Amino acid sequence: MKKDLADVPGRLAPTSTLEVDHVTKRYGSGDTEVAAVREVSLSVAAGEIVLIMGPSGSGKTTLLSMLGALLKPSAGEIRLNGEVISAMRENHLPDIRLRKFGFIFQDFNLLSALSALENVAIVAELAGIKRSAARKAAAILLTNLGLGDRLNFLPEKLSGGEKQRVAIARALINDPALILADEPTANLDSKIGHEIMRLLRQIAKKQGRSVVIVSHDQRIKDIADRVLWLEDGQFKDMVTMATDPVCGMTVELDNEIKIEWEGQLFYFCAKGCRDEFFSHPEQFSSRSVQPVKG
Amino acid sequence: MAGRMSLARRNLLQEKTRMALSVGGVALAVMLTLVLNAFLSGMNRQITSYLDHSPGSLVVAQEDVVNLLGATSLLPGGIMSQVEAVRSVDEAIPILSQFVILDLHGKKQPAYMVGYDPDEGGGPWELFAGRQPRTKREMVFDQVLAERHGLKIGDEVEVLGKDFTIVGLSDGTTSWMTSFFFLQKAAAENLLLSPGSTSFLLLTTSEGADLESTLQRLNNLPGVNALTKQEMAVNDLKLFAQVFSTPLKLMVSIAFLVGTMVVGLVIYTATVERQREYGVLKAIGARNGVLYQVVLVQALAASLTGSLAGVLLAYGVAQWIMAVRPQFLIVFDPSDAVWALLSGLGMALLAALFPARVVAGLAPAEIFRR
Repeated sequence: MKKDLADVPGRLAPTSTLEVDHVTKRYGSGDTEVAAVREVSLSVAAGEIVLIMGPSGSGKTTLLSMLGALLKPSAGEIRLNGEVISAMRENHLPDIRLRKFGFIFQDFNLLSALSALENVAIVAELAGIKRSAARKAAAILLTNLGLGDRLNFLPEKLSGGEKQRVAIARALINDPALILADEPTANLDSKIGHEIMRLLRQIAKKQGRSVVIVSHDQRIKDIADRVLWLEDGQFKDMVTMATDPVCGMTVELDNEIKIEWEGQLFYFCAKGCRDEFFSHPEQFSSRSVQPVKG
Repeated sequence: MAGRMSLARRNLLQEKTRMALSVGGVALAVMLTLVLNAFLSGMNRQITSYLDHSPGSLVVAQEDVVNLLGATSLLPGGIMSQVEAVRSVDEAIPILSQFVILDLHGKKQPAYMVGYDPDEGGGPWELFAGRQPRTKREMVFDQVLAERHGLKIGDEVEVLGKDFTIVGLSDGTTSWMTSFFFLQKAAAENLLLSPGSTSFLLLTTSEGADLESTLQRLNNLPGVNALTKQEMAVNDLKLFAQVFSTPLKLMVSIAFLVGTMVVGLVIYTATVERQREYGVLKAIGARNGVLYQVVLVQALAASLTGSLAGVLLAYGVAQWIMAVRPQFLIVFDPSDAVWALLSGLGMALLAALFPARVVAGLAPAEIFRR
């Protein structure tokens, strides 16, 4: 039987704040220079869930990588609990990533040769916890995530939802202050996706951890405290956004690709979606196209 | 540490075919290295076998002759009495020796003929069967060579146009190049049409004699070169090493290289295939050193398992070769096994270099890219 995550002893993370101050990331130089993220500022409080959305190529992944100390910004500062992590030397960053952050990936990214238990325990061992203690902590965490009977299963024997729960356990094992999740529900069906969302909310609200999620999944907005829209490397106001009724992508209201159907305006990400809408308007017109709130 | 060991072990065992290929490649390379080295040791033992077992500690040869097997020596007439008169020389045993080509059942077989006096010594040091020659028509033949050609005691062998009866079979006189056979010295003189001639004198010195000063006195005699048996053995080894050691050592080096490349390629492929997983580890905080350890442990496990298997295989193969081809002597030294394991270690270290570079080059941020 699953326990609440907050029931796990020692699972209350310290209060933490992530601050992103005018961060820019540029690739290339001269004529080929591209700014993937431009002058982005953001503050994430302890226990807050921030969802970052945006079209492909908007800089979400680059921003997430910089938040997780995987990538250094070209300009600006990133602070975790007041400590400037963006200026740290490269050899200090592995420890920061190991102890301060928990990563959750779209493709789960479990180590295929290790069991569920070992996938979680190895992260604790990397942080210097003894093998037996690491395995015990991993077993407790996995059991509380409903995987008590899957501890010795290899990833290939687990369902998508189970793999993501293992990934969540791996992200939590070292008691991080901040969880960074990249499309955590993308490869999961609706039911499991909701389950993962519920877990992420628990992690934030009952354990006091900050959670930053990058996703296209509109459902995650339901659990987010704040939704930010990143486009062309900058945050934009979400009030001006609408949902493409065909593909579900969020699009700007001043988008040129729009039509009026039975007295209602529909916005599309591309002409292809608009054409598809035209072929079966009755199939799509019932879908909500209300502007999303920020 | 235990976690990374476990990861390395699991990575290896998850791909059993790859692991088997890696271990098998190293095992074959180590086996080849060991067998070739042991063959070289065996050959060296065969080369110096006569000098190692013949009586005395000094050899007198013709002037400028420094080899037993690599040169023809003919001592000046009457030198025997002069040598025996040298202070500290207790005994001088004359032998007449020569390389000859035997025709055994239509096959040409090089052999080393030693003419000796059975009453004095210089002949076979161990008889497998039979006895020493008592007449000028009798011979002691190498037992392995005899077996290869279906010869036995009582059979006749033609040497330089004359028939000799095998009356004894000697042990330890085999060589894959030139086995030994032994005649009475007088018989050898007849065969070589050189009555009273002597190739070498095997000298025994009196107890406590200073070999250096004895050699000096001997070398003052006209037309001779005196040297210790060890010196002559070393000279013979050098001579044959010029012919055989270089290609054998080249083959050993190639075997080492092949073993290294097999492990290297297997571990490299395994690392490249898992680079996303290594990237994950890096992203979640594993340092490069940790990942190097995982790669190195995999290479070490494959190499050392392969090396152990190679040692066992080498002993098995050596026994089989010597059973099928007894003229080949394959001599393992216990230190060879240690060297094999060390070479396995060397292979692992070299083999882990390229995979380690792959791991070091991984950018942790790449993990978010699909």
